[in-house]
Amino acid sequence: MTGMRAMRASPESVIGGFSIELPSVTRERCTLTTAVPLQLVGISKSFGSVQALRPMTQTIEGGEMLALLGPSGCGKTTTLRIIAGFETPDRGSVVIGTRDVTELPPNKRGLGMVFQSYSLFPHMTVGENVAFGLKMQGVSAAERTTRVREMLALVRLAQHEDRQIHQLSGGQQQRIALARALVTNPSTLLLDEPLGALDKNLRERMQFELREIQQRLGITSILVTHDQEEALTMSHRVAVMSEGQVVQVGRPTDIYERPRNRFVAEFLGTANIVGGTVTGQTSERCWQVALTGEPGASTSVQSDVPLAAGSAILLAVRPERIEIGPVVAGTMRAQVQDVVFRGSYFAYELRAPGQDVPFFVHSQSRKDIPPDGMVGLGWRPDNAIILEDTP
Amino acid sequence: MTAGSPLADIDGKARRSRPYRLAGPSWIIPVLLFLGFFFVIPLGANILRSLQSGQATTNGPLFYYVKLLTDAYYGGVIVETLKVAAISTVLCLIVGYPVAYFMVRFAGRWNAVIVFLLIAPLLTSIIMRTFGWRVLLARRGLLTTQLFEWGLIPRPLNLADEPFAVYLGLVHVLAPFMILSITAVLQKVDVRLEESARVLGASALGTFFRITLPLSLDGIATGCILVFVVTCGSFLTMLLLGGGKITTLSLLIYQQFNVTQDVGFAAAMGNTLLFIGLICLALQARFLRRTGVKS
Repeated sequence: MTGMRAMRASPESVIGGFSIELPSVTRERCTLTTAVPLQLVGISKSFGSVQALRPMTQTIEGGEMLALLGPSGCGKTTTLRIIAGFETPDRGSVVIGTRDVTELPPNKRGLGMVFQSYSLFPHMTVGENVAFGLKMQGVSAAERTTRVREMLALVRLAQHEDRQIHQLSGGQQQRIALARALVTNPSTLLLDEPLGALDKNLRERMQFELREIQQRLGITSILVTHDQEEALTMSHRVAVMSEGQVVQVGRPTDIYERPRNRFVAEFLGTANIVGGTVTGQTSERCWQVALTGEPGASTSVQSDVPLAAGSAILLAVRPERIEIGPVVAGTMRAQVQDVVFRGSYFAYELRAPGQDVPFFVHSQSRKDIPPDGMVGLGWRPDNAIILEDTP
Repeated sequence: MTAGSPLADIDGKARRSRPYRLAGPSWIIPVLLFLGFFFVIPLGANILRSLQSGQATTNGPLFYYVKLLTDAYYGGVIVETLKVAAISTVLCLIVGYPVAYFMVRFAGRWNAVIVFLLIAPLLTSIIMRTFGWRVLLARRGLLTTQLFEWGLIPRPLNLADEPFAVYLGLVHVLAPFMILSITAVLQKVDVRLEESARVLGASALGTFFRITLPLSLDGIATGCILVFVVTCGSFLTMLLLGGGKITTLSLLIYQQFNVTQDVGFAAAMGNTLLFIGLICLALQARFLRRTGVKS
């Protein structure tokens, strides 16, 4: 009881300009909810000759939000549909908590799901939509009413119970879809591009709001998205997928700062890729690398594992980590092609001798460019990311 | 200020706002003329004929209508007409809905082929199609001979000239109308609505009755009205496959014109049939307004 009172002491939290108030009953249920982990054990799926999903094993901890991030056709939606039960995996199993649900139909899995198109039932009112799952569970009418009102209060649409769906705005429909998915107290929440249909401003606000609700309820969640910003903002861990398999899993900062390969580096934000050859060690964890394409230019990189002299490596450097300065002999140089003002920074497009693709540098301030446009490029050794790909 | 100066518009009267249209309302005049000459005028003439010709001239203008609605025989025919139409509508719905659902949800690129197969029977002449059924169903026909050879029936039956044959013929022709009406609406029902219901705990059957069926009611209503009205008006199927065992209003009209040659009575029957059709359309309009899904 004291624990509950302690929770009531902070009745609301303010996030992104929104105040989210949890009704007391929901909070009580929150404390009862034990977050359940979800395990994917070697699931794979082929459609005809196309392997949509290569064997995938992944554990999502109880209460964690995992984002499946990747371009269309990477297998993220197939994974979600296997978890939901709309597709049966060719091999492997889906385990929720300790229960193997692979053979169960979607209605026996106890999941909540939010679709990109919201998928609200157009022939029912807002209240009937939210109550649908409870009705299917055989919850009594009186309890249904109470729980629907709680849920509508949670998504701040308490006054809209009797509205028709078509009377709601996109953001409101999105919240009703969330309320409908959460009202049955599902073990796992599946989000299929949940904010894809909203405009940019609303999408950013909803990212925070959704994350807040997910963390409050402590519900295990899987977010499918192709929007890297959405994945980085909302989830605890991001699994980057490509061609039916997970390329890298990690916390958002790790994925962004330490992408494993070229695909991850380029899919999450912009990355400048440059090849080089290790020439020798300069200090304890630093190696000297001669840059490909420009004789005499070199840079130093930091690595925890020893690099063999003479080995070819591929480096990625984020645009905001590169410094533009005067040309210094022995370092990388490039010619400025274009400068674009992007509001919070200046974007420089440069062409380096011997490089096929342009370099991009984001700078907080406008640089003095010499008349011939040639500038020197430099970065700290720990900002050069060594990729696993071979050049 | 000189005329034509761009500033003139600022001081001058506001331009009358005219919405962009591809064509004006005058384009429907040819159609109106055509319908006026070949539909409205004959219809009016038919109404007059039912009130003023034959026995109506001596026994009062409403004579034929009173006879039609009070005489037990003719009342029975009206009831039978409605009964046949209702049964064929229900049969078309039962046969058609699964086909429509399959086409929308599973057929994919075969959809066009199925649509063609559905429409193909309508391309053949109704007489050929109906006689085709006779060839199959008659006593020495393909179906009964085969059933007899398999020992399923004790002796070759004449399945033509039975109500069964009439319904078979009607469903054959009218099911496509039902199917195409339903597919048109079902296509707009997002499959993710069904998936949402499934995740929320509804069984496959529950999802169908709570989501899919309610959302496709518009198509069902349209299809039912089409089939019902067309059945009310069709007589060749009843004439050629019914063997006189099914007498509907349209069959009676045919007889009045060609056998009895009581044109006034035939006209009164025609108008009664038209009135039944109009009631159906009114019911449909009312039904659609009530259940119509606003999105």
